[in-house]
Amino acid sequence: MVKALNLKLLREVNQAKGLLLAITSIIAVGVTCFVAMQSAYHNLNDAKIRYYRQCRMADFWIDVKKAPVTELELLRSVSGVGELHTRITFPATVDLENVPEPLNGQTISLPDDPTLVLNDIILRQGGYFTRTRSNEVILNDAFARAHRIYPGQWIHLLLNDRRQELFVVGTAISSEFTYLLGPGALVPDPQNYGVFYLKRSFAEDVFDFQGAANQVIGRFTPELAGESEATLRRAESMLDTYGVFSATPLRLQASNQFLENEINGLGAIATVVPTIFLAVAALVLNVLITRLARQQRIVIGTLKALGYGNAQVFLHFVKFGLSVGVAGGCAGAVLGYAAASGMTEVYRNFFEFPDLRSELHWSILTIGLVVSLICAVVGSLHGAWSMLQLQPAEAMRPEPPTHGGAVFLERLTWLWRNLSASWRLALRSVLRHRIRSIAAVFAAMMGAGLLVTGFMMVEAQNYFLNFQFYRTMRSDIDLTFKNEQGRDALDEVRRLPGVDHAEPQLAVAGTFENGARRRKDAIVGLLPDARLTMPHDSQGRRIPLPDTGLVVTRRMAEILRVQPGDVLRFTPVKGERRTVEASVAVIADSYMGLTAYADIHYLSRLLGEELAITGAQLQTRQEPSQLARLHHELKHLPGVESISNRRDLVANITKTILQNQFVFIGVLVVFAGVIFFGSIVNSSLVNLAERQREVATFRALGYSQWSIGAMFLRESFVTNMLGALLGLPMGYGLMWLTAKAYENDLVRLPVISAAWVWWSTLALATLFALAAHGVVQWRINTMNYLEALKVKE
Amino acid sequence: MRNDSTQPPKTNHQPLLRLSGVGRTFVMGEVSVVVLKNITLDIRRGEFLAMVGPSGSGKTTILNIVGGMDRPSSGSVLYDGQDLTTASNRELTRYRRDEVGFVFQFYNLVPNLTARENILISTEIARDPRDADEMLRLVGLEDRAEHFPSQLSGGEQQRVSIARAIAKNPQLLLCDEPTGALDFETGKRVLRLLVDLNRDLGKTVVVITHNAALAAVADRIVHLRSGEISELTENPHPIAPEEVVW
Ligand SMILES: Nc1ncnc2c1ncn2[C@@H]1O[C@H](COP(=O)(O)OP(=O)(O)OP(=O)(O)O)[C@@H](O)[C@H]1O
Ligand SMILES: [Mg+2]
Repeated sequence: MVKALNLKLLREVNQAKGLLLAITSIIAVGVTCFVAMQSAYHNLNDAKIRYYRQCRMADFWIDVKKAPVTELELLRSVSGVGELHTRITFPATVDLENVPEPLNGQTISLPDDPTLVLNDIILRQGGYFTRTRSNEVILNDAFARAHRIYPGQWIHLLLNDRRQELFVVGTAISSEFTYLLGPGALVPDPQNYGVFYLKRSFAEDVFDFQGAANQVIGRFTPELAGESEATLRRAESMLDTYGVFSATPLRLQASNQFLENEINGLGAIATVVPTIFLAVAALVLNVLITRLARQQRIVIGTLKALGYGNAQVFLHFVKFGLSVGVAGGCAGAVLGYAAASGMTEVYRNFFEFPDLRSELHWSILTIGLVVSLICAVVGSLHGAWSMLQLQPAEAMRPEPPTHGGAVFLERLTWLWRNLSASWRLALRSVLRHRIRSIAAVFAAMMGAGLLVTGFMMVEAQNYFLNFQFYRTMRSDIDLTFKNEQGRDALDEVRRLPGVDHAEPQLAVAGTFENGARRRKDAIVGLLPDARLTMPHDSQGRRIPLPDTGLVVTRRMAEILRVQPGDVLRFTPVKGERRTVEASVAVIADSYMGLTAYADIHYLSRLLGEELAITGAQLQTRQEPSQLARLHHELKHLPGVESISNRRDLVANITKTILQNQFVFIGVLVVFAGVIFFGSIVNSSLVNLAERQREVATFRALGYSQWSIGAMFLRESFVTNMLGALLGLPMGYGLMWLTAKAYENDLVRLPVISAAWVWWSTLALATLFALAAHGVVQWRINTMNYLEALKVKE
Repeated sequence: MRNDSTQPPKTNHQPLLRLSGVGRTFVMGEVSVVVLKNITLDIRRGEFLAMVGPSGSGKTTILNIVGGMDRPSSGSVLYDGQDLTTASNRELTRYRRDEVGFVFQFYNLVPNLTARENILISTEIARDPRDADEMLRLVGLEDRAEHFPSQLSGGEQQRVSIARAIAKNPQLLLCDEPTGALDFETGKRVLRLLVDLNRDLGKTVVVITHNAALAAVADRIVHLRSGEISELTENPHPIAPEEVVW
């Protein structure tokens, strides 16, 4: 209805487009983050739910040494246990003709004929087992893709010390391995690790498991889902006699844990980060609209005198904010959807789903838009409202000068006297325009906080890599033996070509207990002078293995609530399964996995056994010819259960992490830049507009444009630096929260800072401030100061 | 002259506006300034009232109160029997929108709107508006319709302001120095416009001027001095605008 008023709005939006664009981009970034992360969250979560349902994902996994299927089936009688499925599963070594090194894998049995089972597979290529031959295999699709293996080909696996030739009938995926990790890995590596589904009958033959199995997977009945932990405990104790290696609820299953972690972390960040941007945008917008309403005081008075109601005038000013909100919201929705597609694409590289799609979530787009509108309106309310309180007659008079009043700093006479006149001018102005200064400080704080968090994340990852893979676990190749071996096995390994150095390991799986707290894991026995596995403390110092007692990693100590000096009870899974007591000697720092270390001799004594070894760690030469010979030998070494090429694994992890870091830092700096730049340009230009006459007077008095620019730079420098400094601890806190949000039993991120984090943040804050000042300086240089002297405001 | 038969009979029983004991004090921090003291005045329906007085005597302040743009500190203002002093903000807005046309001393055009749009802004919310282009023609600015205030001279802006006030077609026209920025030819033309509105359409017109010669076109003249009415004179023989000696 009020068309003329809208024309005014359009023209004024057009005149202030630079500033509005700055604020729009802050909102747009916020909405982009929101839409992108929320959409990615839903894409991932929906895909997970569909996938788990389609594959009939199990609720628990129980691994035993070996048990008759009839005994395992008895678990059905445990109340709370629903469906069950037994499997035979073993690690395997894969020998591919065109790959020099032996690869690692896991074999899992499936019924000979297609049957509805838990953790079912979804075929991608080829078909299910046929009746033609017993030695058929279905590969996990990623491994097949990585090595270009197709149905119809033959591959070789080392199973139970025998080289088996297997006919590939198909490739498949399963929800159980959405995030497929080999032992010790952190990111999926389909080049080096695969899953091999075998016919049940074939597995029984090869592993001598007639009528037996070593894994039972199952579901809880819905009625007793709340007591799943207790149910699992009951099931576990029923199988006690068969040696339970592990009883893993879905919550702790590796693939699920990584997936859930990503989903939950995304969900948490998807609200925090957008909130930061929208809060900054609202504050900055408030500054602009307040200025606009002030400047239009007389226009407001006139409109009211003409008979416009408060609501109409109010709406008119809120529309400025709305235009910013609509523009920012729409841009954010579009960019957010694009970013969500990108993120989903990246997730596809890590998580294997049958259908992880980037979907258009209308509800998220709508929420993003609504939230941006709310933020824009809230940002405009204060400014628009302030002018409505006046009677029109009052509004039409020029605004009375703001109270000069003693500025708080001036009371600190000593400090004040030592400031130069220009700094006093800047400080006075900063303190007088409180809201504007608070907005500037807040924006800088959030910008710096984001940078600190991001940089600390990078530092954490690098520290993690260095700590875990270059200092704690330093071997090139890890071997696991099928059965415990004597010392001579190590000598044999030492004699392999290309091996520089080899160290024995004795890994004993069992249950740790501290009162009611218990956890299934392993104690790893090492030589006292081992240098391929070296636990370190949180200060990064090497922990020498104590003669007696355990070195417990931090997360494990937290779970069991133990401290140095406490005594733990430990019951091994294998052998006599006699419960022993061991004291906790030291807590070691660790960011990956749960383990306890001990002197290998002490561990043997503790268990009352002869010195035995279960694996070996090797340091190898790097010449390709030597390596090739070593790999060839390893492929045929009997008694080896698995071979882990740690060098390849670490290289893969490092490459993946560094690649992602590069993109991450780029995005982060751009986002922080938008906040810094947008906020500084806005507050400085508003400042400049309010002081046009003052500036013009200075110009007329003979001040150069640069010294006038310096006046404004000083002001923005004060607020920006103050904010950036406040942002440092805030960023630290944010990092701490993020680390907590992403922490799980398998991985945690260290919260550590480094000098470069602080310096880079402050340097970037300064850089952005200078860039923004460029715009302000340009405005000063191109200002027509004679015009400015004439204008009557 | 204005009592001839072409005009609807003036019902003098009840004044259009009745100010009784109106005072206005401005409080600025510690000091308060008494600007109006005890103003009692009836503004008759259909009359042409002039208000003269030295600068700072309170003319604009009275006009603001009469126009519902300010509230008196004491006393009461009755418009058509309705008390403006106790009216709600909403009622005052409606009063300003439906009853009053205001010509501001400093024109108060909206800088980002053209001359025509400045008129539209007031007609778009009026009950019975007149045509904007017609109004521009009346004030002799038909070829300036698309100009922004910054492209108009002071006098031209003043005329847009007058066009904007009369375009609403209000019962009560309040003009604060409507000819202050005009040369005498244009001034007379504007004055003629106001007189015609008063005589032909029966609008009540209040004009502030510090030019006593102009006041001669009015039915009555209020003299203000230091916030008080020093004199209220009847002018039984108002002269035509063309006869004014500028
Ligand atoms: N909102 C206000 N706050 C303080 N003082 C005010 C306010 N409004 C008016 N005054 C003072 O009241 C006095 C009368 O002002 P007013 O504008 O009514 O004068 P005027 O008669 O219209 O003068 P002029 O002919 O110069 O326009 C002046 O001294 C003015 O400074
Ligand atoms: Mg005045």
